[in-house]
Amino acid sequence: MNTFSAYRPFPDATTGALAIVLVALPFVLPSVTLASELVVFAVGALSCTFLLGLVGLLSFGQGLFFGIGAYGAALILLHSNSGSLVAVLAAAAMAAIAAAIVGFLSVRRRGIYFVMLTLAFAQMGYFAMLALKNVTGGENGLTGVPRPPIVADLGVLAHPQAVYAFLAAICFLAFVLTQRVASSPLGSVLRAIRENDIRADALGYDVRLFKIAALAFGGFLAGLAGAMHTIFLGLAPPNTIEPEMSERLVIMAIIGGTGSPMGALIGAGFYVLLADFLSTLWPRWLMIIAFLMIAIVLFLPNGLWGSAELLIGRWKSHRARAVSPEPVDG
Amino acid sequence: MNISRRTALLGGASLLASPMIARAQTNKVEVVGIYSLSGTFANVGDLLNKGTVMAFDHYKTAAGKQINYTLLDDQGDAGRAVRRVQEAMGQGVRHVVGCTNSAIALAVAKEVHARGGIYIHMAGADEATGSQCNKSSFRWPGASYTAIRATLEPFMQANPAAKRWYTITGQYVFGESLLTNAKAVMQEKGLTNLGNSYHALSEREYSGYITAAMATNPDVLAVLNFGNQTVDVVRQAVSFGLKRNVKIVVPWCTGLDQYQAWGSDIVEGVYFGTNYWHGVESPGNRVLSEVVRAKTNNATNYLQACGWAVAQMFVESANKAGSLDVPDLTRAMEGLTYEGPTGTETVRAADHQVIKNYYLMRGKARSAMRDADDFAEILQATKAFMSPEQAGCKMA
Repeated sequence: MNTFSAYRPFPDATTGALAIVLVALPFVLPSVTLASELVVFAVGALSCTFLLGLVGLLSFGQGLFFGIGAYGAALILLHSNSGSLVAVLAAAAMAAIAAAIVGFLSVRRRGIYFVMLTLAFAQMGYFAMLALKNVTGGENGLTGVPRPPIVADLGVLAHPQAVYAFLAAICFLAFVLTQRVASSPLGSVLRAIRENDIRADALGYDVRLFKIAALAFGGFLAGLAGAMHTIFLGLAPPNTIEPEMSERLVIMAIIGGTGSPMGALIGAGFYVLLADFLSTLWPRWLMIIAFLMIAIVLFLPNGLWGSAELLIGRWKSHRARAVSPEPVDG
Repeated sequence: MNISRRTALLGGASLLASPMIARAQTNKVEVVGIYSLSGTFANVGDLLNKGTVMAFDHYKTAAGKQINYTLLDDQGDAGRAVRRVQEAMGQGVRHVVGCTNSAIALAVAKEVHARGGIYIHMAGADEATGSQCNKSSFRWPGASYTAIRATLEPFMQANPAAKRWYTITGQYVFGESLLTNAKAVMQEKGLTNLGNSYHALSEREYSGYITAAMATNPDVLAVLNFGNQTVDVVRQAVSFGLKRNVKIVVPWCTGLDQYQAWGSDIVEGVYFGTNYWHGVESPGNRVLSEVVRAKTNNATNYLQACGWAVAQMFVESANKAGSLDVPDLTRAMEGLTYEGPTGTETVRAADHQVIKNYYLMRGKARSAMRDADDFAEILQATKAFMSPEQAGCKMA
């Protein structure tokens, strides 16, 4: 089920598992709003998981696209009569366009230079938000964002449960779309680029164009998460576009593991729930997150989901060996 | 860090218990405080929360009902603050106090208003009682307009020869707001603004800005920023010898904690504007000082006073209304007059701003200090507030 590491058919068992988890979340967590926060960040982390796991691109700019999605949705909802779904999709499209532009300017560079460029764009986006305070509200952000029905008068988002259902549906579609992309011929090319982009180029694929397309899709996912964040809270606070948001999404992706979209859900869940729990124990809880990050990178390089898959695989092969008797010679 | 099994269990229990905030008995009133107890602003949130806790411990009841206070940690994140408030209000809580910064307060104010609660906070942004005011929200401290008017105007009156000004400003909304108000006062008084240096929110080293200011040979250097950046700019300006020829004015200062960070050698002769001073002689401040002294064996600082003030406002309004219903509380709060930390304070009905004193202070020489906390003397106490019309408050 390691969708990004190797080709897998679509849909697979994780698609069903995801649907079950999303339905169960509001019942097993202390509050439905906590479940909503989790699915928002799961989609945000998915953008990093997709780029890092499938294409091998480590982007520290996903916070910028998250912020564009958050502010884009807030501005659309504040200044137009569109429904929530239109606002979310339009904001995600804006983020995708921004990501394509950033990609166009940065994919010529590889490795650390690419990472630094995405970080620089993230910083620039934050300062642009501060500079455009008449549009973005500066350090106060945009508040009082309405939460209209999903489409026309259908799907009123008056209750936290309804908001969660809407966000969970978007989250599910985002994961399914990502799985579909990963299992498509496009996904195979992106996987080839991750493994050896020079060879992919020699085979006739326009590596630069494919990377830009991948970054645009990653930007779309991050923007989608930002727009979901605005719908969830009814505001676009400045921290949605801070460079720290990029770090947070990358950390969630790495904790969960970048080998499968499910890693994003696990990583986001782990981070959000742990932050909620640890902050009640110790004000400097971020240090514990940092410690866990180090431990996971050192001892669980496949992340939580990847390691769980590994354990399940070993257990299955062990059981298969135990069930089928050794062939007896002669 | 040492987390014992008991601590972990308590943490887990509190997490599981969080949905039950509002399942209270009818003889209790649930109040939640929203502060940053972790994350970037943890040091600020902790002191604010302590002030609130001390106030509720002191008053014990509001409108005859026992106060049950619950702290919500927003982790310095406006989004998380709103989520926590959504959760609490979903469980029936209607009374919310506190904030650690303006972005959080403005976001929480909208949420509490939309859900029919009452919110008392200490945001610094002018918008809180201006363009973003609402019927449910009340603000205790004076904001940037008050800081500039109550500091610069009396300073200018006392120093008529100081005509040439230079400003160092934090390049963020609050710094810009201080600068805009300062420029307006300079223009009204016919003073010369020689120039301004902006510094970023992340800046820690200011020697370039200070030498730029010195090069213009000003009479006055106004430092227009907040927090640790104020501490650093003033410290570096004094170490550059600026104090010998130039008067330094800091319109937004938190008072005692910053004076302690500087020490009397730096504070001496510098002018400060502050929302609170522990040495103020008033019945309200006497109570506050006694409680804080008994609990901490220290003088009260601004953050503790802020935390106390928002809790006191809640109690005073509930006692006046004799009810904890939000419409009754709101009516009682509008026009409420009480003995607060700065003397007699009044909640202005038109924009829900508390009308209170703001102090112009001057640092004392070490030899003139009567005790370890007596860093500065109050030169003037002024109630300088924008009118609701000027602020643009249209009460929603």
